[in-house]
Amino acid sequence: MASTRVTRRTLLKTAAAGAAVVGFPLPLRAQAKTFKIGVIHPVTGPLAEPGQACRVGAQMAAEAINAAGGIKALGGMKLELLLGDTQTKGDVARAEAERLINAGAQMLQGPFNSGDAAAMVPVVQQRRVPFLIDIAAADPITANVAKSVREGQQKLQFVYRNFPTGSSFGRKAVQYFGEIFKEAGVSPKRIVVMHANDLFGQLQARGFVAAHKAAKPAWDIVEVIPWPEPPSDLSTEVSRAKALKPDIIAPITRPASAQLLLPELRKQRVEIMGIVGPGSPGLYEAGQLAALKEDLEYVLTSVPWPDFKNPKTRAVAEEYRKRSGGKTFDTNSGYSYDAMMLIADILERARSTDAEAIVAAMKKTDWQGQLMVSAGPVRFNELGDNPNAIPAMIQILGLRPTVVWPKESAERKFVFPRPKA
Amino acid sequence: MAVGLTLIFGVMRVINFAHGDMMVWGMYIALLLSRRAGLDPYVGFVISAVALFALGLAVQRGLVQRIVDAPHEMQILLMLGVALVLENAALMAFGPEPERVRSPLAASTIWLGPVFVDVGRLVTFGVAVLLTLLLWLFLFRTDLGRAIRAAADNPYGALVIGTDVRRVYATAFGIGAACVGAAGALVSPLLPFQPATGLSLSITSFNIVIIGGMGSLLGAFIGGLLVSVAESLGAVFLAPSLKELVSFSLLILILLFRPAGLFGKRAP
Repeated sequence: MASTRVTRRTLLKTAAAGAAVVGFPLPLRAQAKTFKIGVIHPVTGPLAEPGQACRVGAQMAAEAINAAGGIKALGGMKLELLLGDTQTKGDVARAEAERLINAGAQMLQGPFNSGDAAAMVPVVQQRRVPFLIDIAAADPITANVAKSVREGQQKLQFVYRNFPTGSSFGRKAVQYFGEIFKEAGVSPKRIVVMHANDLFGQLQARGFVAAHKAAKPAWDIVEVIPWPEPPSDLSTEVSRAKALKPDIIAPITRPASAQLLLPELRKQRVEIMGIVGPGSPGLYEAGQLAALKEDLEYVLTSVPWPDFKNPKTRAVAEEYRKRSGGKTFDTNSGYSYDAMMLIADILERARSTDAEAIVAAMKKTDWQGQLMVSAGPVRFNELGDNPNAIPAMIQILGLRPTVVWPKESAERKFVFPRPKA
Repeated sequence: MAVGLTLIFGVMRVINFAHGDMMVWGMYIALLLSRRAGLDPYVGFVISAVALFALGLAVQRGLVQRIVDAPHEMQILLMLGVALVLENAALMAFGPEPERVRSPLAASTIWLGPVFVDVGRLVTFGVAVLLTLLLWLFLFRTDLGRAIRAAADNPYGALVIGTDVRRVYATAFGIGAACVGAAGALVSPLLPFQPATGLSLSITSFNIVIIGGMGSLLGAFIGGLLVSVAESLGAVFLAPSLKELVSFSLLILILLFRPAGLFGKRAP
């Protein structure tokens, strides 16, 4: 009984598929109608806000691809997204990856948080499913797989990443600091790094200090002041920083600590050329701008950011604003949008839905369609990372995050040193 | 806020694990009043206190009253449950982003030569002292206050001389919640908060109350001062990220050498 029913349904489906792909070569009709992509982000839990932004970004890109006729090299095959939620828990991320692969996912995209990405990697390597990381910065995620492939423990690398790596954040920040000081014609000497001492804050601070040591610039890091995250009060930390007579405060914050740090710097009248962050959340989001207002004005931060000089970015950002209830197209929505577009490019070149063909096409990627500020086309190196994925220096000007560096992508010239209050 | 916790414990011997989450609700009420009605939190704290009084009364009447005589571990489970409900209700109602109430008072400072005084903190401190004083007057100078103290000392004896102990318990819990509501509103311009902030607030207030002595108003007050001064000095003389180490080391020392706390009565 059951088998006849399935047969009838299959027949109907095949007939519908046949009608849809009339005129295409015969073998394609035998393939699935859609290409299934598992899209996994933390849409609930503490990182729900950025996770939801990632999901919307990926969905918008997939809709745009389907509306433009799907994957042409595969006979107009449409993309179908299977959605997953990591809740920012490694074990859940792993289980979700398995669930979606069992449900037929032929590729995975995600997952925003480095810990979750590390938990998903063994699954995709074992199940041989290509995985494009849209956001997750920790270096070892791809480096470990590349190492085991190089040493012959695994045959093929299925994990690739289009996002700046943790160590490149520090290097780029040191580079941008120097370039901006030079362009502004000033030579600040004393920089105080203040950071949250959770895992992210410590790694970020360590990366920045190490990059500074390697580059030996003309300015010094005179002190590194950590605070327990989330802090209840930062007045002692700030008075300690003030006593060091800094030219620049380089904060590595989280949203909650940024809401304490910036008003405290103003209240204690710490006289500095500016606040220049090596890269951290809390200094540019819409919610933070509403809460901190003028305390954020002129603050500079190094962060991956959409290239709004590109008219296509502006169009997508406008659509994103409508779909998300007024939110800014930013790091998270931007990189996940780019990742989905990149998957489409990979499939066009793979001309097949076979996992190994997809990986072969991934390795040969040379794609220029990204909306994010970047140093060049997307290309994957021997580790599976894209060295051309870079952060940009943004500045809050008129309560709006504005790209001010690198020069080619700058929407406006930076204001530095900041005007005296 | 520690004063509210110590009051609830002192009277009912119930450890209120939902204390920090009640405080977060006090903060969100201040936020709503400031956003919707333009009411400064230094005025709005009164409304926040009244709202939390009602919440405290409801929690006591509906839940806590049933377990006043139950073993401590069951009380803790119930109060943790209340804490979870309060935290997640806040998450649903207000979202996960950190918030801060803006008040012109909290943004201003007074400079006395090289020393600066944060006006927001000064006012908060002043109001906290005033509220503690009022509470003390209430407990020692009014009939209801005396009844609360009697019920705390010996519930059976209080019952015998005709005190409505259930009503007294409900009032005490309500007042404890009102204290924390006021405290929440008062610090809302100083401390960014999100639904998950409750737990760390609970822990801080437990620390203060244990150092000061469970059930002692003066102890809670002195304990609060001691913990914050210890943390500030720790941040200056040690690394800033070690300041919590200082206050919790203080806690361990107190537990070792004076287990009842500085002003607590020894357990009989």
